[in-house]
Amino acid sequence: MSNPDELLRIEGIRKSFPGVVALDGVDFDLRRGEVHVLLGENGAGKSTLIKMLSGAYTPDAGRILAGGEEVRIHGAQDSERLGIATIYQEFNLVPDLTVAENIFLGRQPRRFGMIDRKKTEADAEVLLERVGVHVSPRARVRELGIARLQMVEIAKALSLDARVLIMDEPTAVLTSEEVEKLFAIVRQLRADGVGIVFITHHLEEIAALGDRVTVIRDGKSVGQVPAGTPEDELVRLMVGRSIEQQYPRERGETGGALLSVHGLTRDGVFHDVSFEVRAGEVVGIAGLVGAGRTEVVRAVFGADPYDKGAVKVSGTALRRSDVNAAMAAGIGLVPEDRKGQGLVLDASVEENLGLVTLRKATRAGIVDLKGQHAAAGRIAGQLGVRMAGLGQHVRTLSGGNQQKVVIGKWLLADTKVLILDEPTRGIDVGAKVEIYQLINELTAAGAAVLMISSDLPEVLGMSDRVLVMAQGRIAGELAADEATQDSVMALAVSTPGTPAAPAPATPTTTDKEAGRGH
Amino acid sequence: MATDTLKNSSTGAAGVRRLLLDNGALTALIVLVIAMSALSGDFLTTDNLLNVGVQAAVTAILAFGATFVIVAAGIDLSVGSVAALSATVLAWSATSHGVPVFLAVVLAVATGIAAGLVNGFLIAYGKLPPFIATLAMLSVGRGLALVISGGSPIAFPDSVSHLGDTLGGWLPVPVLVMVLMGLIAAFVLGRTYIGRSMYAIGGNEEAARLSGLRVQKQKLAIYALSGLFAAVGGIVLAARLSSAQPQAANGYELDAIAAVVIGGASLAGGTGKASGTLIGALILAVLRNGLNLLNVSAFWQQVVIGVVIALAVLLDTVRRKAGAAPVVTGAGGGKGRQAGTYALAAVVTVALVAATSLLHTGSSSANPKIGLSLSTLNNPFFVQIRSGAQAEAKKLGVDLTVTDAQNDASQQANQLQNFTSSGLGAIIVNPVDSDAASNSVKTAGKAGIPVIAVDRGVNNATTATLVASDNVAGGELAAKTIAEKLGGQGRIVILQGQAGTSAARERAQGFANGLKAYPGIQVVAQQPADFDRTKGLDVMSNLLQAHPDVQGVIAANDEMALGAIKALGSKAGSSVSVVGFDGTPDGLTAVRNGTLYASVAQQPSQLGKIAVDNALKAVKDQKIPSAIKVPVKVVTKDNVAGFTG
Repeated sequence: MSNPDELLRIEGIRKSFPGVVALDGVDFDLRRGEVHVLLGENGAGKSTLIKMLSGAYTPDAGRILAGGEEVRIHGAQDSERLGIATIYQEFNLVPDLTVAENIFLGRQPRRFGMIDRKKTEADAEVLLERVGVHVSPRARVRELGIARLQMVEIAKALSLDARVLIMDEPTAVLTSEEVEKLFAIVRQLRADGVGIVFITHHLEEIAALGDRVTVIRDGKSVGQVPAGTPEDELVRLMVGRSIEQQYPRERGETGGALLSVHGLTRDGVFHDVSFEVRAGEVVGIAGLVGAGRTEVVRAVFGADPYDKGAVKVSGTALRRSDVNAAMAAGIGLVPEDRKGQGLVLDASVEENLGLVTLRKATRAGIVDLKGQHAAAGRIAGQLGVRMAGLGQHVRTLSGGNQQKVVIGKWLLADTKVLILDEPTRGIDVGAKVEIYQLINELTAAGAAVLMISSDLPEVLGMSDRVLVMAQGRIAGELAADEATQDSVMALAVSTPGTPAAPAPATPTTTDKEAGRGH
Repeated sequence: MATDTLKNSSTGAAGVRRLLLDNGALTALIVLVIAMSALSGDFLTTDNLLNVGVQAAVTAILAFGATFVIVAAGIDLSVGSVAALSATVLAWSATSHGVPVFLAVVLAVATGIAAGLVNGFLIAYGKLPPFIATLAMLSVGRGLALVISGGSPIAFPDSVSHLGDTLGGWLPVPVLVMVLMGLIAAFVLGRTYIGRSMYAIGGNEEAARLSGLRVQKQKLAIYALSGLFAAVGGIVLAARLSSAQPQAANGYELDAIAAVVIGGASLAGGTGKASGTLIGALILAVLRNGLNLLNVSAFWQQVVIGVVIALAVLLDTVRRKAGAAPVVTGAGGGKGRQAGTYALAAVVTVALVAATSLLHTGSSSANPKIGLSLSTLNNPFFVQIRSGAQAEAKKLGVDLTVTDAQNDASQQANQLQNFTSSGLGAIIVNPVDSDAASNSVKTAGKAGIPVIAVDRGVNNATTATLVASDNVAGGELAAKTIAEKLGGQGRIVILQGQAGTSAARERAQGFANGLKAYPGIQVVAQQPADFDRTKGLDVMSNLLQAHPDVQGVIAANDEMALGAIKALGSKAGSSVSVVGFDGTPDGLTAVRNGTLYASVAQQPSQLGKIAVDNALKAVKDQKIPSAIKVPVKVVTKDNVAGFTG
């Protein structure tokens, strides 16, 4: 089948990483002059798929066809030659170069071996005109806002004569006005015959912009439907399983308050945050990205300072910004950035598991390595960490097993209050359920769990109570039975407390854009 | 995949191979030892291997300390300076101020720890980048060592100097200290809380902090440990030389860092072992020792050392890459390429060493063999000594091996030791420092090898003769020349040589003696410019800002004088008279052109020639005078035609 309008065709693509099958038979095609939406949950494989097209990964099996011919994309140069341009969530721009220099980075027009600045700027001007953004080619990229940065990225893609433009959640960071502008540009590009792969979590954008939708679930393409498909149907395709099974929360008896936070404030970041977590309880914190959730729990743990308020564990106040005081009181933190803050990637499983208990295992400056080894072996077995041995470097573990190691080091320290920040981000479904089981075991043993998650179904499925944060304040608290996606979202976009300060660029989005940074 | 490779290679005879593949540095060391043994019959002897151990000791001890810091993702550039400072404190308190030796040792170690604590404080609490904080300490430590010692070496107390001796007449104490410190370092890294913290902090500082490690306190302790090891290194170094030198261990920080990295540590932190560091230090020592034995030209030695350092680390990087990406390359392909890399590295090393040694070894006939250890070849004066010596050696049919100590007394000690163990007929030494050379010269004397000193004498040891021009007399002549040129009235500046060297001291003394007779001459400034032309230019430019009206300049060598002439521009030779010292070819040219009024000419090539003559006589057991003075002359435009240097 050779359709002259067909720009790209992907057939039966497979890709696995150690421990995870990321893609398992994905089909996809893109025509000239259409917007083809890629839809799927976090970790479904969307990012992996577009990285195949941009040359960051090569497929283990399957074919990629461009213009009807099979191609192999081994790097950015290959993809550029095929006219494929990708705009990632993190922009690839150099902050201290000008807009024009960024657009033509590495390809500046030259005269007599010198960069022809005038021509560079004139060419950039034309491209910027085309994307309809009023910004001087001589402006420094550092001075631009996010929306304009994105326009510069689009201009850069156009300068490459891209026939295929891949946009990875371009609306996640934009205000509604900016989204409208972006849509206008995308429509213009579509009219010019460019094929656009558009990734979004916002169902309403699909009807507004898309032509066709391919849904990916657990690494498989599960359906291709027109953009007019009702949202309910899209969700069913995307999730494809009942939420009750996925979140096996077992609620038990709750005891007294283990962690209580009173009026916690850091000026300009979060204000007057108060809540309690009782023994045997899971409290979820929902809210939009940037609502201040991570900042609050880091302050509770003592990792960052706060200006006012108090943190108490079992009634005893903790010294502020003192991680060791928080740990001594029994608080543990599983940070949001697993690799950057949770693990020493090039150290072994054993060393990572023993990190928190290192001091306790030390007598007269000397570490009881045997004891550490035994403890690590015991906890790794208990958590079912899949590894070659305790000596394996955690860098080579899969995401789910890495997360188990992070949690494991706190379990070894007999943590009473465990704070989980996005505990299942980037983890496959099977490992997610195992982590939920762990949470159950913890609370059954009388510990308290405070869980931040941008994955709404997860918050709803696992929490006994849900705190919703908006603009640095607690916007409301919902009991498990009254919390629904709608009620949580309503609070998340509300303006709690004094309405004096207007919200800075509130995303008009639900909070599902948790896939950022994937 | 990773598991597969582990299982495959851990069985049976593959054990040795795995050990080598897992440790690129060890492979490199073995390759190097085999290459050296094949190329030089003197290399693989017990005596010489012990020499290698002694020569590795100081670098290794400093490097163990640096390992702590590098594992914790820091860097310590101050270890060389801190070593010199600690040794100076020891000698100063014990020798000059009568502090009991035991207390002086404690004081020296405390000095090292204190310097480390300051580094750690600046880094952990002041948030300074480690590079900058320790660079500052590098300068402060060196400066304080010079301040305390007044720029002169101080004799080391005898009881501590035994640290540089041998046990039972054959086992060198520095090697024992190195092994002991290595065991301590290995224990600290492997078994202690602070050691495990180093890996965690170096691997991921934020994760360590969020796991409850007190990162800042640990950093303080880590740099303090590095300072402690630096102090021990400094004491061993000074003990070997029986003298604490303020300029000792200059640049050793880079050797220490190189040893750590060659040993398999990553500058990004999180990895590294004491055993690897020891191997790294041994590689550097084997290289220097072997190149001495092979009589490789001093200049080529530096090239070879650089290439081998790069190769050793390259070997390790390739090995890691092959280990880290088994999924992509496939185990078989990786191993094959790896083996290829090893083979290539081995071939390149052997070829390089062989080529350079063949290029520079004369016929290895029954000619008498003489070694010449020069303090530096970074200065035309010493290059002239070498040329004179080489020309004479060729004429007389002598095999002459020349080494360059790069102004480092302990490197010179190593070279002299290598000369002694390769059984030369005679040794000519141009000491970096007159006190520091004494131990090595004594050792050569015990081995029955006559030693001829050239240009500078050796204190506290018997030399067959000293071939020198008189620096003090020369300094007096220079002072007299400028004073008479100015008619006994005027303002002059003096550019001094490198603080801490005997030539600088003696010439400065000569200047002072000479000027006593001319009360009308006012010295408005005296500043060191380190015998260096560029520094002479800079210092003179600065002095001209403060004293635009100077009429004369005395420089302690021609290089600085030429720098000063550049700074003076058209004033040189017209309104300002410059007098230099040495009579180097460049200096004589300047005298001819009138920009340099006069130079106190030594005759360096004569020094070299006469030294070789007398060395040969000593080999033949002929009688030679105990001191040979090569005349010094003031060269001005009037008599320059007769001089060729």
